[in-house]
Amino acid sequence: MKTIVSAAALVAASLFAIPASAANLVLYTSQPNEDAQATVDGFMAANPDIKVDWVRDGTPKIMAKLQAEIQAGNPVADILLIADVVTLERLKEDGKLLAYKSPEAAQYDAALYDADGYYYSTKLITTGIMYNTSAAMKPASWKDLTKPEAKGLVTMPSPLASGAALIHAQTLAAVPGLGWDFYKSLAENGAIAAGGNGAVLKSVASGEKAYGMVVDYLPIREKAKGAPVEFVFPSEGVSAVTEPVGILASTKNADAAKKFVDYLLSEKGQEGFLKLGYIPARNGMKLPEGFPARDTIKVLPIKAAEALKNTDQDLKTFSGIYGSN
Amino acid sequence: MHGYIKTGNSQPAWLFPFVVIIVLILSVLPLARLAMVGMAAFADGGVMTVLSETSLWSATYYTIVTALLGTIISLVIGCLFAFLLTLTDIRAKGLLSFFFVLPMMIPPQVTALAWVQMSGPSSPLLKALHLAPPLGSPQPLYSVGGIALLYGVQHAPLVYLALRAGLMTLPRDGVEAARLSGASSLRVFRDIILPLSLPGIIAGAAISFVSCTGNFGIPAILGIPASIFTLPTLIFTKFSAFTSRTFGDVGVLSAIIAIISVVGLVIQDRALRGRDYRVIGLSGASAAFELGAWRLVFTPLVWAILFFMLAAPFFALVAGALVPAYGVPLTFKTMSLHAFEEILFRQAVTRTAFINSLSLAGATALGLLVVTVLAAYTLTRRKDALSRIVSSLIEIPYSLPGIVMAVCFILVFAAPIPILHVSLYGTIWIILIAYFSSFFAVSLKPVVSAFHQLDPALEEAARLSGAGFFRRLADIILPLIAPAAGASVILVFLIACNELTISALLWSAGTQTLGVAIYNLDDSGSSDLASALSVLVVLMVVVLMLLLEFLAKRLPKGVIPWRG
Repeated sequence: MKTIVSAAALVAASLFAIPASAANLVLYTSQPNEDAQATVDGFMAANPDIKVDWVRDGTPKIMAKLQAEIQAGNPVADILLIADVVTLERLKEDGKLLAYKSPEAAQYDAALYDADGYYYSTKLITTGIMYNTSAAMKPASWKDLTKPEAKGLVTMPSPLASGAALIHAQTLAAVPGLGWDFYKSLAENGAIAAGGNGAVLKSVASGEKAYGMVVDYLPIREKAKGAPVEFVFPSEGVSAVTEPVGILASTKNADAAKKFVDYLLSEKGQEGFLKLGYIPARNGMKLPEGFPARDTIKVLPIKAAEALKNTDQDLKTFSGIYGSN
Repeated sequence: MHGYIKTGNSQPAWLFPFVVIIVLILSVLPLARLAMVGMAAFADGGVMTVLSETSLWSATYYTIVTALLGTIISLVIGCLFAFLLTLTDIRAKGLLSFFFVLPMMIPPQVTALAWVQMSGPSSPLLKALHLAPPLGSPQPLYSVGGIALLYGVQHAPLVYLALRAGLMTLPRDGVEAARLSGASSLRVFRDIILPLSLPGIIAGAAISFVSCTGNFGIPAILGIPASIFTLPTLIFTKFSAFTSRTFGDVGVLSAIIAIISVVGLVIQDRALRGRDYRVIGLSGASAAFELGAWRLVFTPLVWAILFFMLAAPFFALVAGALVPAYGVPLTFKTMSLHAFEEILFRQAVTRTAFINSLSLAGATALGLLVVTVLAAYTLTRRKDALSRIVSSLIEIPYSLPGIVMAVCFILVFAAPIPILHVSLYGTIWIILIAYFSSFFAVSLKPVVSAFHQLDPALEEAARLSGAGFFRRLADIILPLIAPAAGASVILVFLIACNELTISALLWSAGTQTLGVAIYNLDDSGSSDLASALSVLVVLMVVVLMLLLEFLAKRLPKGVIPWRG
């Protein structure tokens, strides 16, 4: 009997040892793990009484998780920090977001946040071309990727796995002279689209492919660590996402969530992003090392409302060209 | 067997119903829920929409083709090792057996990562050796052949174990009689050993095939980058593009995997039926063949296979964890422990993952043990049809792919539980319940075999002297089955710690497991961190296996898989 009781006690103890999430805030983000950890560490250092748990995945997967949780009646996240405003605009329209007017917004260009306070851009992430330094050609334009020298050597993230990749495709598709035809000729040149930006970085840095479309900070950071890669801002311009932050209407801790938004937009929070190698969204901030002067970076325009409306059709068009699921 | 004592009254009346209720919750309820969703989809025509998608058929095709090829590879390697290590006088059998079973215990996504690090232009190991293929060379493992090869490596131990069990009972006198009549070794092998080991080979092939169809880690890492989807990875990507139809769609997809698995098992059953090789005489055919000069061929061969299966991928994994960035060749100058530092001391996620996996595995192993001891007691005492049904119901969740069980539990627990109004979906508890269901059979097996070896007279004597059920359990039964219980706990712990397929669908914020953490790190492009975490997991597996090895002397035969 004693053994049974002690065995039962042991089981009970190990069951209670399972940590029920003790966090005050749960953040869903598409930043890479190390960056997500650094962001949360910075916030918790500034707000020691608030504990933040975070989940990282590509924007579409994070959204899928959230949708599944909402459908099951149990949304876990309090805050979203994900690739693009289009996704947050959709949530806003569905009434899933909480409006909050952050005092920090005064320091931001009005185009970088929602006028009603549903979401705020935190940084500028552009998508350009990276290449392996042992590649024969140094690409300068998007069209260089369709040249015979790049045949079978180009890779790009799939819009099905990455929010930035979706915006990128929608941006280039609207540029005269590029458009979906550009994507078609890329596919005819043997380009592939699979996985997220991390996969592109891996593939090009390792030499499986020579050229890749990818978000700026990954190759610039890896180059500094010694990886054999270069990043170029193509002559036609780059697409950009702004990684906005938004609070979910279902949050149980709105005050802590508002503090989190304020922190990200504050000078300190923005410096954190700068240190990680991102272009901060706040006015008057410096650029991270390895970037050219800001006025030399030509950002291609995108109409968010139109992009939102066309998202499903654009995904279908893209899948049709690249035959991905 | 039980002498003159009626067996029925030696156990309390509540015991069997208690076990039945547990089995209803862990096996019947989730599978019935899946069946309901499948039928509902049939009724409203949703099945037709799913069945008309080409992605479904290509995934089914890839699932079957990779599983068949993988099974063939695992048969070749598994049979070679089983014959050599059981029937010949090859040296260091214990060591070889230990190493050969190791890949089975290593999480499949770790195996896949290690092999990716070992081959292709990205390999830090090949770069360090100046053997890396040129720029633009495709990674050869991102293909049907690559997936099948790793299936073969991962599941060869299953074939080995299934065949070995049969070979151990081969009649030695049959072999000796043939020898005395002048038959050559080859002749003995062809005419006596091969026919008698056929059931073991078929069983091994079936287990391997079913495990291949349910594998998630390998096709996730090798298949997704090449747009090759198997059914488990298709289910996973369906969840990654969640729509209102998702729950129904994945229900139908899971049903298809379940059908393929069941077909595999039924074919095995048919193949074995009617083959009654009842053998007489002495068994234990150890060292029936002397290798002689062949030793010079086979010894290097088996060690070379083990080198490519284990050592080379492991060193590649270590190399991948030590390089500072992608594409940097590994030298003493570039080597850095940054990745280990980052995952051990900086990343909250890996810490959470370690805590989650260890406590989930601990709670599953210990919690199941309590249920298992009671279930094994009543199932070995009762010999009626009902207890046989209960036994097979316990087996079903284990023989079905993990992703199917995960979907079952999502369907059961997606909505808040009625009456209680508690939502388990998105919490760690849903993972725990799914683990209980999936690993019940693993936990039960060693304990049942210990009960079979138990002399009922001891307990009956105690009962006649007036000892109650719990008294007998504590003073007689538990001490006698303690070693098997220990083995059961370690085995379940080992498997649950390394699990990915179930938790890949069920995890949420703060409930990441080690398997999910490794997959996610690799997916976000941090393959140095993923490699570092994998290295730690492999080391943990080896330590746990050594722990079982130390327990070995006190265990009933057959409890530790890699020992004879």
